[in-house]
Amino acid sequence: MLKSLKSAVSAFLFALLVVVSAGAHEVRAERMAPQKVLHTWYGLVLELVRHTPNYSPPVASRSFAYLGVTVYQAVAGPHTGLTSLEGQLNELKDLPKREEGAVYDDAIVLNAAMTVATKELFNRTGPTGQHAFSRMSEKMHAAVSDGVDPAVTERSARFGEAMAKAILAWAASDGGATVENMGFPLEYKLKTGPAYWVPTSLIRQQQLPLLPDWGRNRPFAMPKGSACRLPAPPDYSEEKGSAFYREAEEVYTTVKGLTPEQKAIARFWSDDPMLSPTPPGHWISIGWQVLDAEQADLPKTVDVMARLGVAVADAFIGCWDTKFEFNLIRPISYIKRVIDPKWEPLLITPPFPEYPSGHSTQSGAAAVVLASIFGEKHAFSDATHEADGLAARRYDSFWQAAEEAAESRLYGGIHFRSAIVRGLEQGKCIGAHVVALKTRM
Amino acid sequence: MKRQILVFATLLLLPAAHAPAEDAPVPLPVKPHFVEETASAGLSTRYEGDWEYMVGGGVSAFDCDDDGYPDMLLPGGKDKAALYRNVSTRGGALRFEPVKESGVEVDSLLGSYPIDIDSDGITDLVLLRLGENIVMRGKGACHFERANEAWNFKGGAEWSASFAATWERGSDWPTLAVGNYIDPKADMLPWGSCTDNWLHRPDQPPGHTSRRFADPLPLKPSYCALSMLFTDWNRSGTPSLRVSNDREYYKGGREQMWHVEPGKPPVLYSEAEGWKYLRIWGMGIASYDLDFDGYPEYFLTSMADNKLQTLVETPKDGKGPAAYKDVAFAKGATAHRPYTGGDWHPSTAWHTEFQDVNNDGRADLFIAKGNVAEMPDFAAKDPNNLLVQNEKGNFVEMGLEAGIASMKVSRGAALADFNLDGKVDLVVTNRWSDAEIWRNDTPDAGHFAAFRLRQPGANRDGIGSWIEIRKDGHVMHREITIGGGHAGGQLGFTHFGVGKDEKVEFRVIWPDGKADAWQTVDADGFYTVAPGKAAETWAPSR
Repeated sequence: MLKSLKSAVSAFLFALLVVVSAGAHEVRAERMAPQKVLHTWYGLVLELVRHTPNYSPPVASRSFAYLGVTVYQAVAGPHTGLTSLEGQLNELKDLPKREEGAVYDDAIVLNAAMTVATKELFNRTGPTGQHAFSRMSEKMHAAVSDGVDPAVTERSARFGEAMAKAILAWAASDGGATVENMGFPLEYKLKTGPAYWVPTSLIRQQQLPLLPDWGRNRPFAMPKGSACRLPAPPDYSEEKGSAFYREAEEVYTTVKGLTPEQKAIARFWSDDPMLSPTPPGHWISIGWQVLDAEQADLPKTVDVMARLGVAVADAFIGCWDTKFEFNLIRPISYIKRVIDPKWEPLLITPPFPEYPSGHSTQSGAAAVVLASIFGEKHAFSDATHEADGLAARRYDSFWQAAEEAAESRLYGGIHFRSAIVRGLEQGKCIGAHVVALKTRM
Repeated sequence: MKRQILVFATLLLLPAAHAPAEDAPVPLPVKPHFVEETASAGLSTRYEGDWEYMVGGGVSAFDCDDDGYPDMLLPGGKDKAALYRNVSTRGGALRFEPVKESGVEVDSLLGSYPIDIDSDGITDLVLLRLGENIVMRGKGACHFERANEAWNFKGGAEWSASFAATWERGSDWPTLAVGNYIDPKADMLPWGSCTDNWLHRPDQPPGHTSRRFADPLPLKPSYCALSMLFTDWNRSGTPSLRVSNDREYYKGGREQMWHVEPGKPPVLYSEAEGWKYLRIWGMGIASYDLDFDGYPEYFLTSMADNKLQTLVETPKDGKGPAAYKDVAFAKGATAHRPYTGGDWHPSTAWHTEFQDVNNDGRADLFIAKGNVAEMPDFAAKDPNNLLVQNEKGNFVEMGLEAGIASMKVSRGAALADFNLDGKVDLVVTNRWSDAEIWRNDTPDAGHFAAFRLRQPGANRDGIGSWIEIRKDGHVMHREITIGGGHAGGQLGFTHFGVGKDEKVEFRVIWPDGKADAWQTVDADGFYTVAPGKAAETWAPSR
């Protein structure tokens, strides 16, 4: 996973060695650029997403949004040409301000902000995550503050910490701050009727759907969770030839006849929680790969992280709003009951209602935002899963990647066509709210 | 989200859950009962240490002084391990005394497995460590000496927590599999740093005499193994190596099973052979033929739900797909969260073992539970499980009634008949607190029979044999293995509950495939069995 992010962490460690091993003939590595500081921290964050038990995709998307807004606001101002998102994102206001005329070091500001925000957002990670976080914070602080005027270090760190705390205080009231039992309610009344979602897993915890109230969380850029709610899916029917049956039949036959390329696509975008950085993490990883490729400056880096984070977070809120409005049955349940009891999908069916496809919605939103920053025809390679043995894939545009991500759910056998097509449409709607944010002065 | 929190809060106010609705249905099996004797038993070893000791803590139970009573080695983690001599009397309270200068008082010990490597009739030990693993040759009277150099056992310098052993066909020296975990040096970004597992094979090919190991063969790929087991899953006569891996640390990994054919390089089972793509926080393996079809079921411990696997298709002539389905949910064996104590978070499961604790002729399942350290999304008060099998083959949680529902942070365990009264007792190791021990005093327990295999020459203990018992129109099959569990295992008598039967009809199928004739012995006895001979009654001297 995340070869470039791993490389960033390795490069950081190397630079650290050069500085730390300095003796009589001191050799200093070049100071780490602020965006490199961020890159290193995001490398750890993407691992923590994978290794923190309550980090399902919606939860991960929320953290990416708050981290992105934190680092954006930490450096917003005349020196970067970035305008504050206060008053633009729902209920974001009264953030700390830099002292006028005082000197700040953005690398130290960002390091302090990431240290505080990461610690809080991942306070439920396991001992290994805590251990890695502690090692990272100690070493990063030493690295970024080396050779800097102590007064500047102090002032910068204090500001970064204050910004992170202010963003976390804002986050505390959004409805998504507390996630227990890995997001599965202990009590929830399932809707009864053939059209409705039923558990698809033999895992006890997953007999009730994941985060049924997530759609009620306060969104970031869109005015409310239902701002991009979709129309109803095709009417439920078990009649051959009906629209619903035809969609199920398409899933059934597609999975039965998967080509090696289709299987590769399904697995590439599978992005299972706790086995990957999740779908929103996948797009954050893409964001970093594109930023890396063009050696982006600090303003562009934080702009991308903020808007991409907000896009995927709002996408999960909007998508969950629609999911629990319609509560639709998954293909595996329908096909086994109506078409073929022995049919098995390629991918594990996620434990929540079907319509629309979360990956489609959030990929659509992410692609819209990235295209607005890098261009509609920006080609890129995605090596997110290389360390997991999945080869990099090449795309001519962000939208092409989003469409492939969406289609992958059909190949995986976990979504009907309508959930895919309309999920992308919902992503476009949500992405438009994010693109409308004013980031440049 | 607020509504969810209210629900959680409401549930926390409920009395401790007892026999929750999701448990398996009646009929209830015979209720086992245990008496805790930790305070009087003389054990005082804690599994200590920081992050590096979040896994491990395995117990080995074996007879090191040739009196028939199982002694035990308890790991101390960063502190010294302790070997305890069993001084209990038959049917009496459990009593142990530390053995001084036994030779195994090593630090950095995660677990150990007993095995008679050189087949001299004295049990040796394999010590799994953070750092160099050590093989200890038994000298008798519970004393051991290092044999790494004498046996060319390259102990490495990794983080080892799993082990399995077999005698490959044609070899008079065992093959040892050692499972390694994270790269101990990769403490900043440990994820994806799984180090290679090793196969220590005899230094000579099958058909030739060996007295040493060849240099270890790395098993590539390796995915942070926490339990390994050589098991003849398809009754082909050649055990395969199952490996349960911790998905927390691997990348691109999965559960594994290796073909280990004599004289050939190990080869992974593939999806084309039916082996499914399963990714769990694999921590322990227990095996037992629960459905009397001659093929073992496998219980795999993990976090939250655990797995109980049974073959999708019965093999014919040792051939068939290596495809398993999970029946834990259907059998009431998910053991996914605490059943008592009020903590509703998911569980974390470690050592696991099948034994018949009420001697009713059906294997029961013990699971040691305990938070990794302070993971808030998993239960902090996580009682150990005792899932007792009922006559329909479902499991009923009876840990609370049985008196073994410890809330300590457990890791390793052994279920063994420490006082040779025919009922299986229990010892459990705990992180940061002393090991606990319980004596089984189930009042309504059935009869039992216990068998110790002795074959001449190599593989004295008959590892790879099957003991079969005819009962109630079916045959109970039990494979004799070294491995599985979590970081610890046993060697000695194999225990069977036989219910109301006063006579026990049994036979042994030895590792070479030869089946003895069926023979009948009295229930409630201990027997030593050699190939082609009548079972010899054995009785303890005290």
